[in-house]
Parts: sequence; structure tokens; C-alpha cells
Amino acid sequence: MSNEIVQVQRSRIENIGALPTIPGTLKRISAIIEKPRVTLDEISHFVANDPALTTKVLKMVNSAAYGFPGRISSVSHAIMLLGLNVVKGLLLGISVFEIMEKVMSGLWNHSLACAVASRMIAEKKGVKDPEEISIAGLLHDLGKVILILEYQTQYETAMQETLQKGITIYEAERTLFSDTHSNVGMWLAEKWRFPKNLVEVIAYHHNPMLSKTAPMETAIVHFSDILIRARGVGFAGDPFAPALSPAVFDMLNLSEKDIKDVLARVEESIDATEDLAL
Amino acid sequence: MPRIIVGNLVAGMKLLKPVTDKNGMILLSEGTVLTDKWIERIQDMAIEAVYIDGPAQKTIPKEEELARLDERFKHVEDLPNMKLLKKLIKEHIEGLYVQ
Repeated sequence: MSNEIVQVQRSRIENIGALPTIPGTLKRISAIIEKPRVTLDEISHFVANDPALTTKVLKMVNSAAYGFPGRISSVSHAIMLLGLNVVKGLLLGISVFEIMEKVMSGLWNHSLACAVASRMIAEKKGVKDPEEISIAGLLHDLGKVILILEYQTQYETAMQETLQKGITIYEAERTLFSDTHSNVGMWLAEKWRFPKNLVEVIAYHHNPMLSKTAPMETAIVHFSDILIRARGVGFAGDPFAPALSPAVFDMLNLSEKDIKDVLARVEESIDATEDLAL
Repeated sequence: MPRIIVGNLVAGMKLLKPVTDKNGMILLSEGTVLTDKWIERIQDMAIEAVYIDGPAQKTIPKEEELARLDERFKHVEDLPNMKLLKKLIKEHIEGLYVQ
């Protein structure tokens, strides 16, 4: 194995439509989402033309486990209730992780559980728009999908290194790639014109104290990510619980009961989300 | 009475409820023991999940679950707050096995 660091090129990642490994659905969704002023109509129309996608979106927004209001019968209805950003996030989540489940089995479950935990902590902390934090939990590992699709061999090496050296996948990425999944995810989130808070959560979920505009949201997803991995739900690249930022722990100030409530909610959602396997 | 998604079916599982198509027509009756051939057909019908007879999927013994927990925490146990986190998850897992 060579010691050369893989240079991840931002321009190449951003030009996602031209990446040969990216499947058509994601390219089409990407093209819609990156439009500066994409309208409700355009999104509804796009989704309506893809019955499989419609079914998945509606299944997701109506899932009690996922915490959305329920009984949403159309995509336009979902956009009205949840907001364009949440629906954009869902569309991406669905299309990205459908691919991911084929390459890294378990990442979809990890992400869903993270969305459930993030939402519940957001509610406990009284953060407004818990749906948006839910989406942030769902999409925080977006960069892994793209890295693994684009640099499959090297990413497999990274995953092996986690086992050999007893390190996390994030640490392995840092030694093997010029940029980690959090940077790659951030580039795409910016390209797709996600709200600033969502961009920050994706960018800083491993360094939550760097977040300037969304410290609470980032802290919540950081905590959820680690909690879910510590609980052993799904798979995110390595089999270890990463260290929790002490500052985040203090900031969230969750009681033991709070944490157990979150674990219980996640447990309930695991059975229910079997249905959401895409 | 677990509902199992089609991708996770294995031969030998027994149907708790009949498998029907979207019009309610019965394709396989309850009690059918699945074979690879049946599973393949179910997949071809674009059915998502079926009900399988048997205990809920607490398939991993508690000791194994707890051993895995130790394994996940082995590099971080002494870091701040990780002992507490591990303790809470351990209690949570133990709670799942209480009948």
C-alpha cells in the first residue's frame, strides 16, 4: 500500500453530475436542488414523475417513528407542512442512502437512528424547527457516500485501518485523504444551497465547537452520532464509539433520564424503520 | 410477530399471515414455510415485507450484546463522560431483556 494521500478535489466533487459512479436518480435530484430558486411546483412535479420516489417520501414523512406529523398524502402537502428545506433534505437522504446501503451496509440505519435521536434531543432542548435538526441528523454523513463512491478502493483501505489500528473512520480518513467526509459533505451542502445551519452541522459534527451559526444544532447531531454508534445501531465505517466532546456534553446538559429516553425512542424506531428500508 | 422486510427473509421461515398482492389476492397462505424459490417470487412481486411466525427478533443473547458494547468502548472508556454513557447504554440494553 502506498502512503500517498488521496487528494480529494472539491471541483470534482461539486461537479457531481459528471461523476461516473453517481447514479442517475441522484444526478437528477441534484440538478433540481441546486437551482437557486427552485419552487414548490418544480419539486412536486419532479417527485410526482417518479412513483417510487413519491412512495418513499410519503412513507418517510408519515412514519411515526421519524416524528413527522403523519397523514400527509402528497408531496406538495409535505412541502407546505414541513418546508422546502426539509423536503429537499429528505429527497437527498432517500436518494443518497439508497445508493449507500449497497456500498456501506448499515449507514442508512445509522443515519435514520441519528435523525430520530437528534429530533428528540432538539425537542428536549426546546430548539425550534426540530424537523430541520432531524434532517441534519439524517444527512450528516453525506460525505461518506460520495467518498466511497468516488474512491472505493481507498475507502476500503480506510475501513480496514480502523480495525488494524483501533481508530475511528474519521481518523482513518484524515490519514489517507486530503479531506474528510465532513468537508466533502459541506461542499455538497453548499452547492445544493442548503441552509447555513445544515451546512455547519455537516461540516462540524466532528468538531462541534467550530460551529459559529449553529452551535446547538451541531452539538445535538454530534451527540446523537456518538450515542447511536455507542449503542451499536447500524454501521458508519468502523465498530467503535468515538469520544464525546466534553464541551458538547456540558452544553446540552442532558440528565441521565433524558439520555435513556432518547435510547428508548431510538429502540422503538428501529423496528418501525425496518419499513423504511429502501 | 415480526414483520420482516423481504431482503432479510431466509429459507425455512414460516409465514404468520398470508402474503397478498395489492388487490388482496392471496399469493401464499399462512403457515407456508418459505423456500428460496418462494422468497425469489415474493421479491419479484415487489412486496416489501411479510409477517413471520416466531419470537421478536431479540436474536442476540444479552451476554453477546454486552460483550459488543465493551468492544465498542474499549478505546474511549477513560475519556470524559464516556463511562457514564456506557453505563446508561448498558442499563438500557439490560432493560431490553427483562421480560
